[in-house]
Amino acid sequence: MKKTLSLLLILGLSQGANLFAQTRFAKDTLEASGDSVVVTATRTERKLSNLTVPVTIINAKTIQQNGSLRLTDILKEQTGLNLTSGFGAGIQLQGLNPDYTIILINGEPLVGRTAGVLDLNRIALGNIKKIEIVKGPSSSLYGSEAMAGVINIITDAAMGAPLTLGFRYGTYNTVDVNLETKLNTKQLQYQGFYNTYSTDGYSIRPNSNSRVTTPIDRYSTTQQLKWDLSSKTNFVLNTRFTQEKIQNEIAVANNGITIYSIGKEDIKDVNLSATLNHRFSKKLKTSVRAYSTTYDAVQNLLTINGLPYRDVLNHNFKRIENQTDWDVSKNLQAVIGFGAVWEGVKSSRYDSEKVRKQNEIQYAFTQWEWKASNKFTLIGGVRFDQNTQFASAYSPKLSMLYKLNGQHQFRFSVGQGFKAPDFRQLFLDFTNAAAGSYSVFGSAQAQQVIAKLDALGQIGNLFPNYYLLKALKPEYSNGFHFTWDWKVNTRSAISVQLFRNDIKNLIESQQVGTYISGAQIYSYLNIGRAFTTGIELEGQHKLNTNWTLSGGYQFLLTGDKDQIAEIKSGTVYTKNSQGYSRLMKLNEYVGLPNTSKHKLQVKLNYNSPKGYYLNARAIYRSRWAVNNNNGNEVFDNGDVFASGYIAFNSAAGKTFKNGLGIQVGIDNISNYIDAANLPNLPGRTFYTSFKYQFQNNKNK
Amino acid sequence: MKKKMSKIALGLGLCVALVACSKDSGTVVVPVSAITVSNLAADTVTGIGVDGRPQSAGTTTYYSLVDNKVIASADAATVKWDVAFTATKILVNSGTSGPGLGGAFVFKGLFDDLKTIPADSLFATDNSNASSFAIPWGSGKGWYTYDGLTTLVNPIAGRVLVIRTATGKFAKIEILNYYKGGVTLSSTASDSDKLTKQRYYTFRYAYQPNGTKTF
Repeated sequence: MKKTLSLLLILGLSQGANLFAQTRFAKDTLEASGDSVVVTATRTERKLSNLTVPVTIINAKTIQQNGSLRLTDILKEQTGLNLTSGFGAGIQLQGLNPDYTIILINGEPLVGRTAGVLDLNRIALGNIKKIEIVKGPSSSLYGSEAMAGVINIITDAAMGAPLTLGFRYGTYNTVDVNLETKLNTKQLQYQGFYNTYSTDGYSIRPNSNSRVTTPIDRYSTTQQLKWDLSSKTNFVLNTRFTQEKIQNEIAVANNGITIYSIGKEDIKDVNLSATLNHRFSKKLKTSVRAYSTTYDAVQNLLTINGLPYRDVLNHNFKRIENQTDWDVSKNLQAVIGFGAVWEGVKSSRYDSEKVRKQNEIQYAFTQWEWKASNKFTLIGGVRFDQNTQFASAYSPKLSMLYKLNGQHQFRFSVGQGFKAPDFRQLFLDFTNAAAGSYSVFGSAQAQQVIAKLDALGQIGNLFPNYYLLKALKPEYSNGFHFTWDWKVNTRSAISVQLFRNDIKNLIESQQVGTYISGAQIYSYLNIGRAFTTGIELEGQHKLNTNWTLSGGYQFLLTGDKDQIAEIKSGTVYTKNSQGYSRLMKLNEYVGLPNTSKHKLQVKLNYNSPKGYYLNARAIYRSRWAVNNNNGNEVFDNGDVFASGYIAFNSAAGKTFKNGLGIQVGIDNISNYIDAANLPNLPGRTFYTSFKYQFQNNKNK
Repeated sequence: MKKKMSKIALGLGLCVALVACSKDSGTVVVPVSAITVSNLAADTVTGIGVDGRPQSAGTTTYYSLVDNKVIASADAATVKWDVAFTATKILVNSGTSGPGLGGAFVFKGLFDDLKTIPADSLFATDNSNASSFAIPWGSGKGWYTYDGLTTLVNPIAGRVLVIRTATGKFAKIEILNYYKGGVTLSSTASDSDKLTKQRYYTFRYAYQPNGTKTF
């Protein structure tokens, strides 16, 4: 029994908060090795097949065999996910922008977003055990940003080889080196991971200001220490440090005249978390987690014939949280949690880069799971977030699972998600001297700043929007997900998912006035309403013992509800090929920019018992609107689109019994390039990698 | 039947361009036909400065809507011209731009749908000292948007420039295109094409010589 418990501990610890899996569920875990355990969906350990909400799991083997180095590499090959390319590589989930997906590492959020985008290239995949993706609003458990969904990156648990070395070399002098060490004693488990990544970068379009990927040096390390204080108490410490140095030498040539500039970016990201878990009884356990993270980015741009430009962003986030899991009865389980966040940002784009803008959040959440029968499970949850800088938020969620029989099961969830106004929307104080001297002021101080300017006689006009400025409300989304899983037979499975997200209170920049000179003044207001809806299909078919075919497809429709209302009211125009204006019809509307109607990926996978593997993957994305070219601010068929494309990737390798692994791979085999719209997709790249695991006899 | 026919004609927009129709009241509307002016050069680009911005001679192209022809810049201080073009800026013969009775405002709607200028319309005049022009100048303010990513200028759909001419009569203009040959360049066109092929106006206009506000 004791042995079982310590194994449970190990399994549970990888998620920090959720150690001591409940006996009943833990039994499931151990017996059903094919059915993965998910922690993100309920903040407790649950088997994938017992979840009430849609979850995708990407395991370490898939990541490794696909040859994925950075988080972006693997996410772009998932159903319903698309990469975006402004301000780093972000992820669009079910048509919603990167702002609306929270990124967690071992359950703790990453910070440091630029214009709402968190650059997922920051995250190395070398030591990752699995990635869990929850689709649909999850603010009832995670608060702000968990509006489209949650991506939780879970690092490797401590069991395994004591030392693993990895080396990879590829096109553009891309070098990736990994070192992973593990140490296990009866009471201590330690994992250390070190990664360096460097590339010469690439320029698809020479002599242009469209910087594609530039020489980058990235370094990251994570350390995880688990310490069993007693059979009922343990302690987990996680640290993560990443540093990124980017150097740009930009030469812009225009009609024979070249302008040179040198840009340097230095980004540091530090995460530190400590968790204390204690089990009071079989029915009650609690955990206390403290977390602190800082993101620090400095960008310097020196132009030979212009003013130097410096941009600084420093974001810190501290959180303390308690979560208690309580088995009320055999069929009823409760999760109760509360916590507080202290968050602050310093930026050169605010009134002073020396003064940190602060926000404090206090929150509480609860979730109740009722297993009505073997067939039916119902979960209700709610979270309340109160804070000092904007209106508070209330996030309910209801979800259910119905297992019709061994072959069919249905999940249904409805919930509200929110995204708090970010610091930029509250505190930006930015005047663009280069382009017409327009200004943007965050809503928290826009009225004050403008009143001050007015007193100095600098304000020309104030628009009606100025008088509407008030404390921003969070952006809200109501999400609805319905999933049908069908196990056709032992070799095939299909899943169909319908989803819809209705978003209101979208925060958009609006002109609130003008300077005497006529230059515009902008601020942020809650005005937009939008929706995304669609179908996702996923399927898997085992052709024989070695070959598997799998694929996923997403059909997506999106729209701005206010724009649709305007089109319906007959006040939106477009132009024909001769330049004559005409009324725009609703069927010409293509929805939100950067969203594609179709996304399809297919993967053929071979795995032999001898350790050989091969995979071929094709990823298709249909066209997406990028620019409006008829001034109507609405995206229609006449606007500028990025063309749809297919990327083919393939990797093959062998894992030897002595711990050596070799791999070769080609990404973007057809060499598809679209420098303007897909800066993250380099041309054809080759790579080869070696990995060696020093064997540990104790762990087989 | 006749009424129905005329409605169809109106609906097709033929009324303005081709035929005279009778209104229900029986008053005769004098037909004004739409005229298209193509490739009107307006201070085209001659090179690029060290700051990366386009260079040009700083000329203004004066145009008479009455006579449908370009007016020599020597006549800038006369009432011979009605509208003038310099890069994206469009002037009317008024205020700081000229001695005429000109004025303008931007109507949101379709060229063919603007059959009568509303009686309460306010015509603004050019006042370049305070950077305000009768036809507001700047991306998204008047007749065009400038896209910083593609560096292209696109006329806004559904904008009609309602013009009071130098002699106090009325006309309406729709800007069709800003590029040579009347076709906006593709977003991936070369930088040199984007520079040298811009500032060529293609527009259509209708001028009502009888002094009424009806087209």
